[in-house]
Amino acid sequence: MKVFFERLREIFALTDRILLFSAVILAVSGIFCIYSAASGAVNSGRGFDFAMRQCSWFIVSLLLMFMVMFAGYYKLLDGAYPLYGLMLLLLLLTALLAPKVNGAQSWLGFGGIRFQPSEFAKIVIILVMSKFLSRYPPIDFKTFMAGIGIVMLPVILVLLQPDAGSALVYLVIAFGMLLAAGTPFKFLGSLVGLGLAVIPIAYFFVLKEYQKMRILVFMDPMRDPLGAGYNVIQSRIAVGSGGFFGKGFLMGTQSKLKFLPEPHTDFIFSVFSEEFGFFGNMIFILLFGILLFRVIFAGLKTKDRRCKILVSGIVSWLWFQMFESAGMSIGIVPVTGLPMPFLSYGGSSLLAIFIALGLVASISIEGANNKRVL
Amino acid sequence: MEILDSRLKFFLYSIALSFVILFIGLYTCQIYHGDKYVSLAYSNRLRLIRYAAPRGEIFDRNGVPLAVNETTFSIMGYPLDLEKVDKLENLSRILKRHGIPMSVNDLQKTIKQQRLAPYRAMNIIPNLTMSQMADLIADVEFPKELFPMSVWRRTYPAGNIVANILGYVSEISESELEEYTEKGYMGGDTIGKTGIERSYEEILRGKPGQEALEVDARGRKIRTLDLNSAVKGNDLTLTLDMGAQRLAVSLIKNHKGALLAMDVQTGAILALASSPVYDNNPLTWGVSGREWNEIINNPDRPMLDRAIAGLYPPASTFKAFMSVAALEENAINQSTVYVCRGGLRVGSHFFKCWRHSGHGSLNVIGGLQHSCDVFFYQTGLRTGIDKLVKWARKFHFGELTGIDLPGERSGLLASPEWKMRRFKNGWMNGDTVNYSIGQGYVLMTPIQIARTYAAIANGGKLVTPHLNKAGYKKPEDIGINPDKLAIVQKGLDYVVSRGTGARAGRFGVSIAGKTGTAQNSHGADHALFAGYAPVDNPRYVAVAVVEAGRSGSGTAAPMVGQLLAHLLSH
Repeated sequence: MKVFFERLREIFALTDRILLFSAVILAVSGIFCIYSAASGAVNSGRGFDFAMRQCSWFIVSLLLMFMVMFAGYYKLLDGAYPLYGLMLLLLLLTALLAPKVNGAQSWLGFGGIRFQPSEFAKIVIILVMSKFLSRYPPIDFKTFMAGIGIVMLPVILVLLQPDAGSALVYLVIAFGMLLAAGTPFKFLGSLVGLGLAVIPIAYFFVLKEYQKMRILVFMDPMRDPLGAGYNVIQSRIAVGSGGFFGKGFLMGTQSKLKFLPEPHTDFIFSVFSEEFGFFGNMIFILLFGILLFRVIFAGLKTKDRRCKILVSGIVSWLWFQMFESAGMSIGIVPVTGLPMPFLSYGGSSLLAIFIALGLVASISIEGANNKRVL
Repeated sequence: MEILDSRLKFFLYSIALSFVILFIGLYTCQIYHGDKYVSLAYSNRLRLIRYAAPRGEIFDRNGVPLAVNETTFSIMGYPLDLEKVDKLENLSRILKRHGIPMSVNDLQKTIKQQRLAPYRAMNIIPNLTMSQMADLIADVEFPKELFPMSVWRRTYPAGNIVANILGYVSEISESELEEYTEKGYMGGDTIGKTGIERSYEEILRGKPGQEALEVDARGRKIRTLDLNSAVKGNDLTLTLDMGAQRLAVSLIKNHKGALLAMDVQTGAILALASSPVYDNNPLTWGVSGREWNEIINNPDRPMLDRAIAGLYPPASTFKAFMSVAALEENAINQSTVYVCRGGLRVGSHFFKCWRHSGHGSLNVIGGLQHSCDVFFYQTGLRTGIDKLVKWARKFHFGELTGIDLPGERSGLLASPEWKMRRFKNGWMNGDTVNYSIGQGYVLMTPIQIARTYAAIANGGKLVTPHLNKAGYKKPEDIGINPDKLAIVQKGLDYVVSRGTGARAGRFGVSIAGKTGTAQNSHGADHALFAGYAPVDNPRYVAVAVVEAGRSGSGTAAPMVGQLLAHLLSH
C-alpha cells in the first residue's frame, strides 16, 4: 500500500503538466463541439446524447492514461510482441465478422461495447516498431525491409475491411518512425519514389470509384458539385463564413441545416471553424502545436533509444490526422474521412490517443526519475 | 544517439512548416475570402431537385404495350420554405378552394415522410391532372416558392390480364432502401415490387436525374447550377403473346387455377394465366390500407401466381414421366403387359384403379391411353423407388425451373430420405404405389409439369422457362433413348386421339397429352391436363390446372386444346 501511494505521488510530481493540460482542453472543446454538431438537423437534435457519451469515453480515457503512467511505458514495450499478435488476430476478426457500418467493417462488438481495433492497432504498431528499430537500427536494407514488413501486415488487414484511411495512417506512422530511427535518406527516398510510382497503378486498379472521385474533386470541386464535390464546397463555405471570430457556439448554420455531411465525425473541424472562426482555429493550432512539441520534447530528453523512436510514431500519427482533417475541410488535401484527434466523436479514437499520451507522460516521468536517482 | 535527436529535431521543423501552411490556408479561407463565403452561407440558396427516370416500357412479343408511363403533375416545394405552420395553413386553404382536400395535418405528414434534407425538393401534392395543375398555379395566392413538375406514373393497359406476370411498382420501402442504398436509390423512388417489374428492376429503372439550382430570397429559381438529366430505363420485350394470354385468362377466369403455354424448344412462355386475377394499376398508384388488406387477406389469394407457385399433386400427368423412367431403366418394355382387374393388393392394402371394372390386359401405350392406375402401380413397384427418384432428379423435380419471375416455388421431390427426415419413418411399397400415379407426397407447380412435357415433346431436353425475349438459355439434355421416348409419345397421342383426353382434340389441331385428376383433401378433385401440339412436330406445350375442376378430361383438357389451337392458328 505504501508503495502504491509512493508511486502515485511520484507520478503527480513528475508528470508533464503542460502536455496533459493541453490534451484535456482539446478533448473538452471536442465534447462541446460534438454537442453543437450533433444538435443539427442531421442527427435530429441528439447533441446531448452524443456529448454525454463522448464525455464518458473521455473519463475512461483519463483513467486508462493514468494506468499507463502508473505501470510505466516499459511494461507495454515488454509486451509489444504478444500485443502485436493479438492485434493481428483482432484485425482479422474484424475483417471477417464485423457488421458493415457505412460500407466498411471496422467495429468489433464485445459484450455490448463496440470498439474499433484499427484505432488501438496504431499504438501496437508504434510499440513494436520502436522496440524493433531500436534493437536493429534500419541502416542496412534488410532491417529496413523488416521494419516495413511489420507495418504491412496490419495495413493489409485493414485494407480488407476496407478501411483505406487507417491503412494510410499506419503507413505514415511507419514512415515517420523509420525516419526517426535514422534510416539513410537514400532508402527513404527510394520508398517515396516507389510510392509515387505505385500511385497511378493504385489509382486505376485499387481505388474504388468513390475514392477516385474524391481525388478528382480535390483538384476541381466543381467537377461534381452535387456528389463528392458537394462536401468540399459546403465545408469550405462553413469554414469561410466563420470569419475572424466565428458565429459563436451553437450558432453555426451550415452544420445545422444538413449542408455538411457527418458533422460530428469527419467534418467536425468545419463545425468548429464555423462557430469559433479564425481566432478559435489559431488557439486550436497553438494548443495542438504545444502538445506535439511536448511529445517531441519528451523524446529529446529521455536516454532510452526506444522512446525516442516511440514518440516519433505518436507525433506522426497525431500530426497527420490533424493536418489531413483540417486540410480537407478547407480543400487543400483530398477527403479521406479520418477523425480529427480530440474533436471527432468516437470512443476508440479518443481512448487510443490518451493511451498514447500516457506512454509519453510515462517517458518523461521515468526520465526525470532516473535523473534524480543518478 | 545524435542521429536520433537530430531526426527528432527535423520533426519539429517539418511540423512547424505544416502549421504555417495550415495558417495560410485558414487565413485565405476565413479572412481573405471570408466575405464571399459569408454571403454564400447566409443565402444558402442552393436547392436540389431529383428527377425520377422514366421506367423502361414492357411489350409483348408483337409489340403490344403491357406497361407504359403516363404523365401526371405534382406540386413540388422545399421543406426549408415550408417549415412555418402559417404557410401550410395558407396552402391548405388555397387547395380546399380548388377542390383538393388536404389539411395542415395531411401536408405535415407528407412533408415528414419525404423529408431528406431541407434543400431537396419534394412532392407535396401528387397525381394532379393537367387542368387541376393549371387551375391551381393560376391562383394569385398560390405560394410562389412552390412549383409544378411533370412526373410519370406507371400504367398497365391490360390490367388484370397480365398482373401476375408484370407485378407492379411502388414507392421504395424503408427496408428496401437499406438493402439497395448502394445502388443509388433514395426515399421516394419507385421500385418493382413483384413480377417482371421486380426481376428486371435493374434493366427497367433507368438513371434518375438531378438539378442543382440557385433560388432567390423567396425560394424562386434564379438559375440552374448543374443538371444531370434523367435517363430512361431500357424497354423490355417479353415472349408473351397477348392474344394467347387473353384467351388463357378468359378460359380459366371462372375457376381457380392456372393455364400456361410454352415453346417446347426454347422455353419461351406464350401465356401464363393464374386465376383469380388482381388489378395491378391501383397498387401502383397507391391503395389505401383497407384495400391493401382486402387483397392480402382474400382467401382466394389473387396475388399468388398459381402457374409458378401453386403446388399440386401432378396426378396422372405424372404417368408420362413414370413411363420414361421405367422404359429407360428397362423395368418394362413395349411388350410388358399387366392385367388390371380394377385394383391391386399390396400388403394389406387394396389400391383401386379409377375404373372399378378394370382395364383388362394392357401394355405401356394402353396404360397411358386409358390412364390405367394398376398398370403404373405394377410398373412403379417393378422399377423401384430409388430409380424413380433418380429420374425425378434428372427432370429436376423439387427444384426451381429458373423462370425469370420472383416467387417461384420448388415443389416436392418426395424421396425415401425426405420421408425419413420429415416423418421419421421408412418408405413403404404403398408409398411407391401412390407415387406412381402422381399422388401422395409428390407436389409440382404447373410450370414444372409444362417443362416435363416439353422435354418429352422435344426429345429429352430440359428447357428454362423465360418471359424475357432475351432470356433464352441452352436446354439441358437429359439423355433419353429416342426409341423409348417414341413409345411414350405414341401413348400420349392415343390419349387424345382415342383415349381419356379426347376433349382436348376437338379444336382442329393434333394434340398429344395426358389428363390428371388429383385427389384434394379440402374439396372436389383438381383437374389437370398437360399436352403439346402438333403431334408429329411439337411446337408448344400447354398445361391447365383447375382447382376443384373435378375431372381432367372434362375441365382441363378443352382449355389446353383451345389454347394450343389458338397458338398454332395465329
